[in-house]
Amino acid sequence: MAHLALSNVSKLYGDFSAVSDFNLEVEKGEFVSFLGPSGCGKTTTLRMIAGFELPTAGVVSIDDVDITNKAPSQRNVGMVFQAYALFPNMTVAQNIGFGLRIRKEPENAVKQRVAEMLALIHLEQKGNSYPYQLSGGQQQRVALARALAIRPQVLLLDEPLSALDAKIRVALRAEIRAIQRELGITAIYVTHDQEEALSISDRIVVMYEGRIEQVGTPFQIYNFPETNFVAGFVGTLNTAEAEVIDSARGLVSMDGVQFVSSDDLSGSKKGDKVRMSVRPERFSFASEQKKDNVLDCTIENITFLGSVVRIQVKIGSTKFNMDTFNNPFLELPKIGDKDQVTCSKEAVLVLDS
Amino acid sequence: MKLATRVRKFPFWSWVWFILGVLYFVLPLLATFEFSLTMERDMIGFKAYQKAFADKDFWSTFGYSIFLAAMTIIVSIILIVPTAYWIRLRLPEARRLVEFITLLPFVIPAIILVFGLIRVYSSPVTIPFTEIPLGQPLTNFKFGTNVLIVGGYMVLGLPYMYRSVDTGMRTVDVRTLTEAAQSLGANWYVVVARVILPNIRTALLSGALLTFAIVVGEVVLASFLGVNTFGPYLFLLGQHRAYEPAALTFTTFLLTWAAMGIIQLITGGQGQASGAH
Amino acid sequence: MTQTALPASRMRTPRSKLRNWIGVIPFFLFAILFIFLPSVRLFIGSFTNEAGQFTFENLVELFSQDYIRNSYLLSIQISAVTALGGGIFGFLLAYSVTVGGLPNSLRSALVTFSGVASNFAGVPLAFAFVATLGRTGFVTVVLKEVFGVSIYDAGFNLYSFLGLSLTYMYFQFPLMVLVMTPALDGLKKEWREAAENLGANTVQYWLRIALPILLPSMLGAMILLFGNAFGAYATAYALTGGRLPIITIQIGAQVRGDVLHNPNLGNAMAMGMVFIMAISLAGYSWLQGKTERWLR
Repeated sequence: MAHLALSNVSKLYGDFSAVSDFNLEVEKGEFVSFLGPSGCGKTTTLRMIAGFELPTAGVVSIDDVDITNKAPSQRNVGMVFQAYALFPNMTVAQNIGFGLRIRKEPENAVKQRVAEMLALIHLEQKGNSYPYQLSGGQQQRVALARALAIRPQVLLLDEPLSALDAKIRVALRAEIRAIQRELGITAIYVTHDQEEALSISDRIVVMYEGRIEQVGTPFQIYNFPETNFVAGFVGTLNTAEAEVIDSARGLVSMDGVQFVSSDDLSGSKKGDKVRMSVRPERFSFASEQKKDNVLDCTIENITFLGSVVRIQVKIGSTKFNMDTFNNPFLELPKIGDKDQVTCSKEAVLVLDS
Repeated sequence: MKLATRVRKFPFWSWVWFILGVLYFVLPLLATFEFSLTMERDMIGFKAYQKAFADKDFWSTFGYSIFLAAMTIIVSIILIVPTAYWIRLRLPEARRLVEFITLLPFVIPAIILVFGLIRVYSSPVTIPFTEIPLGQPLTNFKFGTNVLIVGGYMVLGLPYMYRSVDTGMRTVDVRTLTEAAQSLGANWYVVVARVILPNIRTALLSGALLTFAIVVGEVVLASFLGVNTFGPYLFLLGQHRAYEPAALTFTTFLLTWAAMGIIQLITGGQGQASGAH
Repeated sequence: MTQTALPASRMRTPRSKLRNWIGVIPFFLFAILFIFLPSVRLFIGSFTNEAGQFTFENLVELFSQDYIRNSYLLSIQISAVTALGGGIFGFLLAYSVTVGGLPNSLRSALVTFSGVASNFAGVPLAFAFVATLGRTGFVTVVLKEVFGVSIYDAGFNLYSFLGLSLTYMYFQFPLMVLVMTPALDGLKKEWREAAENLGANTVQYWLRIALPILLPSMLGAMILLFGNAFGAYATAYALTGGRLPIITIQIGAQVRGDVLHNPNLGNAMAMGMVFIMAISLAGYSWLQGKTERWLR
């Protein structure tokens, strides 16, 4: 039984369709990310769960209770905003205790809960500070505590880390995930940062132009993208146009160079134009081990990125990036050398053009 | 801040306050206008306006007010623009002091200012702490009085003019502009005339219009210093006549509206208040 | 190769500090001549007696002389009343066009008009109110003929404390609107949403969050309104002709004809005013600072 369910949810602004045909079932305790570029509808969907937007159609339910038309103050979902939204006239402790006091909980229960929350976010000493005295990362942790204090059924996070520095982002996202796991609370996390989504989610919902492109685990989304958009948006990708040569055997031709793919091409026939993609890290030098595809190439460029070395090779007349782990004892080819690279047939993704 | 699109309730109370406000503001204007039209018995007409504008004293005092306003604006610009510029570029340390000075006119209302001016400048100018006279009191001379009143007007307009220019300069970041221009070979004259001034045009215009509104309506400095401007004229007119003052009052309102409307247009939304007189 | 770099002296270089102050001399000269000299003269004068010696007599008289003390009280009263009334209604007006949900066109109309109305003070304003609420004023007549209510018979008089207060509101409301509109804009939408999300209704949001946040701005604005009314002269004089002895009118009478036979007493009265205005301005600045700190 799903804990949070959205069925056929859509949102129209006049003629503009911000969200359409949104269907999702989330288990209790699951951490689901909505991932996509700006304007894809992820925040709108989140706000419909929170109650700040009314769906044009569809049903939102938590624990089988229809909350589609309930006021935001009646839903018992906790929301963490991008801009923290801490009340500037209240201390940290007062902010965290706000929801409980509204619910008229007895004062000592409130104090106790606030202390629990402060311990959870490791800010025990900051209870009497005001928001303006805290750093961005600290403020966001307080915002999280404030949302969790009311024991919500679902935790909603709207790009909570976008306003923070890169280093803090990485640390804080791990902390958020740890807290979520510890409390076992269902969470929906909106972000445009695919690395963020990949690193902390149980499942990812990739969205584009108001629709769901794909739902799956980070592993699935990354390795088995189902649409061009997902393949291009998540991770880096080499991509080129190709033509089907033999659909039964999974052969396509790009620039006259033949690739074999394990993807199911039965829906296409010879001559169909498709899009062919390979992840940079799936290429390796043929001299190490030959896999299904062995391709002649010329070395175009070598970029040292630290832990990864990115080698640009030309196959046919198209440039591909190949990523290989840095190894101080590996002899790298020189620019202009002719070489051979290889990749498995599973690595070749063929998606409709 | 509009509430999220969730619920569109009809903002009943907002309309109540707004309509009450409109009523309060419009009624006096309406009353003035209505009164100004009833000069001829039993007839609605513009006779009051005709008579008012036919009075040559009106033109001489109003013209003089405009002249003084122009002088105030010009001298203010000449004084304030280089000062603000200099402070931004070379003397940030003076900033707090200068800003404090521009706040002083708020603490010194017109009546006190004119009191002080008269005290100082209507006695003979002496070397401090002695009785040795250096010159006649300024107020003995018409030119001297004019200098005084323009100075006084500059003081009244100082907070607004300075703030306007300073904000304008900060918005366009005159420091960077100057460095860019200098690195391209421009000398000081070119920098100020062709780079700085054009970019603060809006601020200057806004400050000028506000100064204009202040000066034309001003009555305290003018009457105590004995200068024949529009303010005292209107007041005196009100002692003797009924309809013409109403006509001029309404005209003043239209003029002020025009000036403020222009400011609103060019600054895109920052209202400016110059406070009570 | 052409020399494109300018000689070092052209660019920003640390010159001797003293030279830098040359540029602001004209401004300081102006300030000295037209602000400091008059102020200092008044200040020193208030501590001088007729024989030219230092004294506190004048200051004491400010409190001991009934008519002076009462003038200050009257001025403070009318300033406080119009600051409070103007503050409350001005806030409601500003609220209605920002958070309150009225269309944006009304908002710019109100802001523009507020700029106009606050500049309309003085003689024209007095005349306009006479035409409205004077004995034969528009509203007076309408109330009498249409509603059968004669306000003058009921004791109302435009040329009184009440009448002057009503008139002062014409520039107090707009000033409040102009100060509070940006402050209300500063109320972030997210605060409202966060409050709702945590279970608060509208009343709770306003009482616990919005009003506390706005309070420094509101108080600061009302102090501004206080100072505004306190220093007003022309409106009062044009309306009541000096009948209402607020402190500015008293000082005006003194400037005109030395009615006190002690010019230094006039100086003291003026200094008393400046003192009160200075406290107001200080209070306003302090509240401004507090607001800015919170809302960083």
